[in-house]
Amino acid sequence: MSGTSLSEEQVHFIESGVSISAASRDMRRVPSVSKVVGCRVAADRRQVTVLVDATQAGQLLQDVEGSKALAVVFCLPSSHRTLQLKGCDAHQVALAPGDAELAARHRDAFAADLLPLGYALPFARATHEFQVEQLRALCFTLSDLFEQTPGPNAGSRLEQE
Amino acid sequence: MMPSSRSLDAIRPCLEGAVPAAIATCGADGTPNVTLVSQVHYVDASHVALSFQFFNKTRENILANPQATVFLLHPQTSARYRLALLYRRTETAGPLFESMKAKLAGIASNAGMSEVFRLRGADVYQVLDIEHVPGVEVPPAQCAPCHIARLRQLSQRLAACTDLAGLLEQCLEGLASQLEMPQAMVLLLDSQGRKLYTVASHGYPLSGIGSEFPLGRGIIGVAAQFRTPIRIAHLASEYAYSRAIHEHLAEAGLGDRLETEIAFPGLAESHSQLSVPILAAGRLLGVLHVESAEPHRFGYDEEDCLMGLASLLGASILALQQVADNPSEEGAAPLFAAPLQGTPLTVRYYPANSSVFLGEDYLIKGVAGAIFWRLLSLHVEEQRSEFSNRELRIDPALKLPELDDNLEARLILLQRRLAERSRDIVLQKCGRGRLRLLLKRPVLLQQIAAR
Repeated sequence: MSGTSLSEEQVHFIESGVSISAASRDMRRVPSVSKVVGCRVAADRRQVTVLVDATQAGQLLQDVEGSKALAVVFCLPSSHRTLQLKGCDAHQVALAPGDAELAARHRDAFAADLLPLGYALPFARATHEFQVEQLRALCFTLSDLFEQTPGPNAGSRLEQE
Repeated sequence: MMPSSRSLDAIRPCLEGAVPAAIATCGADGTPNVTLVSQVHYVDASHVALSFQFFNKTRENILANPQATVFLLHPQTSARYRLALLYRRTETAGPLFESMKAKLAGIASNAGMSEVFRLRGADVYQVLDIEHVPGVEVPPAQCAPCHIARLRQLSQRLAACTDLAGLLEQCLEGLASQLEMPQAMVLLLDSQGRKLYTVASHGYPLSGIGSEFPLGRGIIGVAAQFRTPIRIAHLASEYAYSRAIHEHLAEAGLGDRLETEIAFPGLAESHSQLSVPILAAGRLLGVLHVESAEPHRFGYDEEDCLMGLASLLGASILALQQVADNPSEEGAAPLFAAPLQGTPLTVRYYPANSSVFLGEDYLIKGVAGAIFWRLLSLHVEEQRSEFSNRELRIDPALKLPELDDNLEARLILLQRRLAERSRDIVLQKCGRGRLRLLLKRPVLLQQIAAR
């Protein structure tokens, strides 16, 4: 593998408080899906860590442990820009200092994007709300990157360098 | 984990397309995929349909592995639900497809994606499980009205009606007062089955009674053609009334011309629209249409309620038609018209399309025009003022269709047009299945032969 990595702009996009959902699957290939409440990318722009609330993402956490497969979709509601990242070495890692604050910033930034679209603030915040003590981190190496913004290019693989 | 025996019926607000859902699938090689889907549509208590818009990984995956998991958010409370789904089939035509296509047009228009979102198919999934995912929820802002209670009140009003005009009036007034749907109209199917004519409306500056709408176009025409409710939550240009009418006129032959002299009564910027077919005895009778300048005004509950109302309306229309066609012979002496004074009003009749002009003003055309001309002719030639529905129905000069045309509806149309357009001629009901023509000025009848 040549080593897919994110551009700086893509890193900024996925860390900016967009709507995030992650999927894995069990050994029968039944998919699991949950909301993600935060995301950070390592300096190499290949290692991606996503934060989930364990009370909501129990099946996903279990499936990642079994399959190591993870797909994560990022979407900004106001522009519909959508990116999907995939990894095949996903695993749970310890939370880093500041992860709870990261998730809080993510929740608020997402709400800020939603407000001009006519949603009420309590709803907008609730969509990415989490319990600090239930936060879990899943880390993976980026193996595939897809542009999924609705339109003729949706689903196309983005080759890097 | 919370119990998962929840019914799809309880989470229908999540299935309005107000918030995109996430769908996870898994390929044959075990690679998961997750993407957003604009529309997860309620089909019945155990099936949903997802909008298939693009050939993508999700599509490829469900064909190889029919298991999918969808994450939904309630658009007011943010309650989270996970649906375990099994892909069953794709529908590319028919009622479900048309309902989803119209709804998607509204969603696309609201998202600025009108040129991008196009429904290729309705992917139907069986719902295997519904999980209420724990998390922070916001209390709903308002308590939804109990539609079944409102419908019960409205059905009692309808049951008390003894003629079609009263029925239509009660239905539209009830929609406004009991269901808070003040902009509404009833259109009936023409006997040729290719267009609908407006027979009653409520909440518009001009009634638009007598205006026509093509079958198969726009929300109203598609609801009629596919006999299915069609609903959109946002203004979508492809479903604008004027567009449907213009497209029809551009393509239709002369023989299929729509009434264009009478403007259609819809709102100029209608964000929410809901059209339901009026069906009875296996036939399409017409369409009940409501609209609102507010987006997201009509949901699944309103759609169900209107379908119930339309059924009631359909059965009542047929029943009252029977009554009107069998008029009471109350034995009153026939009323003969007294000679009138004053300047005669010239009434011109064009048999080519049965159009009638009062002086220079257009009144009506088609079946209602022909009936009006016949009434005036009988009035002038035989000095008669009272007529029965039955004699009109069998009148060889009129050649009315035996079954498929609702004579009573045509008479309502004529009555309303006269009330709106003339001070000199009045058409009244005078008993069951009987009508009276009252003239305040003499008339001069001119039949203009086709050239």
